[in-house]
Amino acid sequence: MSEPKKVKLTREELEKIIKICESVEKRGLDPFTVNVKELLSTLRKALEENQELDHYVLDAETMYKIAAIIALQHKWLRDSAQALFVDAQLIGTKLLAADKKSIVRAFLKAWRPIISLEQVTFQRLKQGIDYFLGLPPRSGERVWGWKISDREVELLKAKLAAEEDVDEKIRMLHQELLREYESRGEIDYWDFIRRGGFEESFERAYLLSFLITEGFVDVKRNPLKNEIKLIPRREKAERKRPSSLVIVMGGEAR
Amino acid sequence: MSEDSFSKKLMTAAAMLLFRSHRKPGVKGWELKYRLGKNYMKVIDALNSHLKRLGLEVKTVFEEEKDFDKARFYVTLSHPMLLSDLVTAGWSIDEVAVLAVALSILASRGGKAPMKEVLEILQTKLPRWKAESYLERAIRRGYIEKTDEDVLLMGWRAKVEIDQRELLKSMLELQPENRQEPGEKTRPEKQDQEF
Repeated sequence: MSEPKKVKLTREELEKIIKICESVEKRGLDPFTVNVKELLSTLRKALEENQELDHYVLDAETMYKIAAIIALQHKWLRDSAQALFVDAQLIGTKLLAADKKSIVRAFLKAWRPIISLEQVTFQRLKQGIDYFLGLPPRSGERVWGWKISDREVELLKAKLAAEEDVDEKIRMLHQELLREYESRGEIDYWDFIRRGGFEESFERAYLLSFLITEGFVDVKRNPLKNEIKLIPRREKAERKRPSSLVIVMGGEAR
Repeated sequence: MSEDSFSKKLMTAAAMLLFRSHRKPGVKGWELKYRLGKNYMKVIDALNSHLKRLGLEVKTVFEEEKDFDKARFYVTLSHPMLLSDLVTAGWSIDEVAVLAVALSILASRGGKAPMKEVLEILQTKLPRWKAESYLERAIRRGYIEKTDEDVLLMGWRAKVEIDQRELLKSMLELQPENRQEPGEKTRPEKQDQEF
């Protein structure tokens, strides 16, 4: 029973060493606070006592961490040499004893701030405007720009005219619906849209969908009789629970 | 190169170095090479002699190797500032004191120290909220870096602006009492009462 306990103990020891090394590395502590010689002898002992593959992995990791500490000690010495081997404790004491102005005055001797401007100049602004005006229009997306061609103006006019035309057609369809409703009551959807050829029926259905969406026409559907009735309104109705209805045209399914 | 074209290059170099065009100030050597040509160091040297008359200088900060194309060029002050200059430049004495203490601790510890320990020293002279707030500002300005483990490191700006050997030397020469150097103009600071 004592054998596994011993193994566990050495494993814990190695994990502890790894944690110490990591802490020194991460927190920037003095690497000379770690007794490398002692850690190495513990590691050697652990290696001799436990010769299992699993343990070797942990040994290797511990060895790597100790090597990292030695590298840190090397860096620490190099930095200290560059900093004239100034003791951090001494600097701390000096800082605690000195007054604010003296500290700042001492700091100013070593400080040469960077000079840089963030303000925009008139020249830079002009450059920016010139650049912007020289930018080509974005393909397919930008309609408005600094320079609109005659063709673009014509296309725009045609587009606006087409929109006005559709508005007028919708208005007329609404009037027609109201007239039929006043004379016959509820209007059958298919009777109403079937006028002329397929194209005209399709256009009426398309325009009617706008009136329905806008709230100028209510749709009553009876799935048992397969009927769709239209009830037009003079005023726009508020849709409390709007829902969509799919009507297939030009096929068997209605 | 004609005198006219050289003076145009000088103006371009001054604009590149003085106007901030990136998130960080300064320009890389290759950027100067692209705008000023392969003899850009001649232009920089000429600009440097012009700037020195104004108390400024071009500072070259190399990365790992001494390659001018990879180095970063900045314009910095060439002479130390006076306390009165600090206030004019918009710094408060307290803020610079926090910066000085933090950077001195970092320089004396090889560029790395736990934030907790730095704050402990700062708190002996300043209220905690003030110390923390100025430390945060120093981090934002790039003088100090903070890791996820709350360890402070020397920031990029400190590496450019601070002569670490000079800083440690002048901190070692600190005297406990407040001495004003001869010829130094200072105005009465209201913050002095806090120390």
